[in-house]
Amino acid sequence: MEKITDIIIAALQEFNEELQEPSLEHPSLDTKLFGGNGVLDSLALVSFIADIEEKVSEHYGKNIVLADEKAMSQKVSPFRTVETLSAYIEKLLNV
Amino acid sequence: MLSKLALFDQKIAIVDHDDRSYTYDDLIKRALVYQKTLLANIPEGSSVAILSDYNFEAIALFSALYEKKAIITPITSTTPAEINERIAIAQCLYSIAYHGESFVVTTHTNDATPHPMLENLQKIGDAGLILFSSGSTGKPKAMVHNLSHLVAHYEMKKSKNLVMLLFLMFDHIGGLNTMLNILSMGATMVIPHNRNPEHICALIERYHVAVLPSSPTFLNLILMSGAHERYDLSSLRMITYGTETMPESLLNKLKIVFPKIKFLQTFGTSETGIATTSSKASDSTLMRIEDTSCEYKIVNHTLWLKSDTQILGYLNASMESFHEGWFDTGDLVEESEDGFLRIIGRAKEVINVGGQKVLPNEVESVILMMPEVQDCMVSAISNAITGQSVAVEVVLKDPKEATSIKKMIRTFCKSRLDGYKIPTHVNVVEQTHFSERFKKMRLG
Repeated sequence: MEKITDIIIAALQEFNEELQEPSLEHPSLDTKLFGGNGVLDSLALVSFIADIEEKVSEHYGKNIVLADEKAMSQKVSPFRTVETLSAYIEKLLNV
Repeated sequence: MLSKLALFDQKIAIVDHDDRSYTYDDLIKRALVYQKTLLANIPEGSSVAILSDYNFEAIALFSALYEKKAIITPITSTTPAEINERIAIAQCLYSIAYHGESFVVTTHTNDATPHPMLENLQKIGDAGLILFSSGSTGKPKAMVHNLSHLVAHYEMKKSKNLVMLLFLMFDHIGGLNTMLNILSMGATMVIPHNRNPEHICALIERYHVAVLPSSPTFLNLILMSGAHERYDLSSLRMITYGTETMPESLLNKLKIVFPKIKFLQTFGTSETGIATTSSKASDSTLMRIEDTSCEYKIVNHTLWLKSDTQILGYLNASMESFHEGWFDTGDLVEESEDGFLRIIGRAKEVINVGGQKVLPNEVESVILMMPEVQDCMVSAISNAITGQSVAVEVVLKDPKEATSIKKMIRTFCKSRLDGYKIPTHVNVVEQTHFSERFKKMRLG
């Protein structure tokens, strides 16, 4: 779990070099991503997810799809915060 | 055809990569030999496949078959299954394959009822031509041309002393257009052994080629290979490009590398034949269709054509792209106020990002401006959030930049493109996918 969170946080910091969003400079588990007060718009999210998918595949040798119908139909959106995303990825990897 | 060719007598018709050259007289004599030997037992109006790419013998055979009012199916494929499929669809009773130095005739049986379109050609005593669509999706469609009609279209051409490279294939409307143009002008064709930039540039230097018909993808391959720097290409007067959309930034690069060469956009489809066009300027992707035998109109931003040289129909597909004689090319166009057209992409390749439309060519043109990028291809990628988004495959000058290229591309695009046009997926590849006709093959 920790490792996935690390991957997300590192990816988010990297992504923010392009976005330059102050609230993403020091991301934590609670950092909001998409929806609510999240700072990513839908296209930034798509691009960010692509980065995450690639990094997960590099680290775990497993290809996962994050932006599909299954993710969209979760009770709590996996894209809400770093924490929800991390939990969702872990779930996918353990299947 | 042969009587017209006879006028050019001792002019050089064909030069091949092995340095052999043939006059128009040689070509006629060889065609006559084929009529008396190889084709002696083949009835007039037969459906015949030629299994060969361009060479002197195949062009002589094509001429001889034309005189015999045959229905000709040129096939350059070397895959047996594909060849057999095409022979069956075209209802060929004979196939003539080129093996090294000579032809071998094979007879075929076909139990299907003869197609009325082919029967009609035989009845009116006209030659036919069957071409297959490249078939990137689904089964290739067999298109039937009235070849007598098509050839007549070239008959008014003025005689010219010109050396042209025969770049496109024998089974492609663009390649046949180049061949028929050359023969009707009494010009000289140079036949390449392959279509590598290095080889093509070497041939241009060796034979002082003046006209190179090509495609944007191939022209970019020349720039990437640097072949243009290793050969003397000063004989080149004109480069024509067609078959796919020309990215504006690539044309600008080409104009810088080849400042004295005239660039001309060609336009045609297998269904309608090639229209005579003129570009507004060498550095402009605006063009005009200047062809008395080809009308056009724009319907929903898409170019529709009606030409004298269009196909009679398909042997194995419906005429759904034709509407009261008009052919929907599927090419999206813009029209300038002064009546020029610009091809901006294929209607079916438009990317729909949450309801907003993106043309791959616009994004490619921007990314190709980056010094780090050699080549790129943009296509759609699906996701559950915006439906589709923009994905790009890039070929890098320096592969070491692969890790940071996505950020570089997105940053570069930010000031040049609307947000929804900026790629969300960047994939580094060694080469973009293109067809054997040097046309980009987009994914998705």
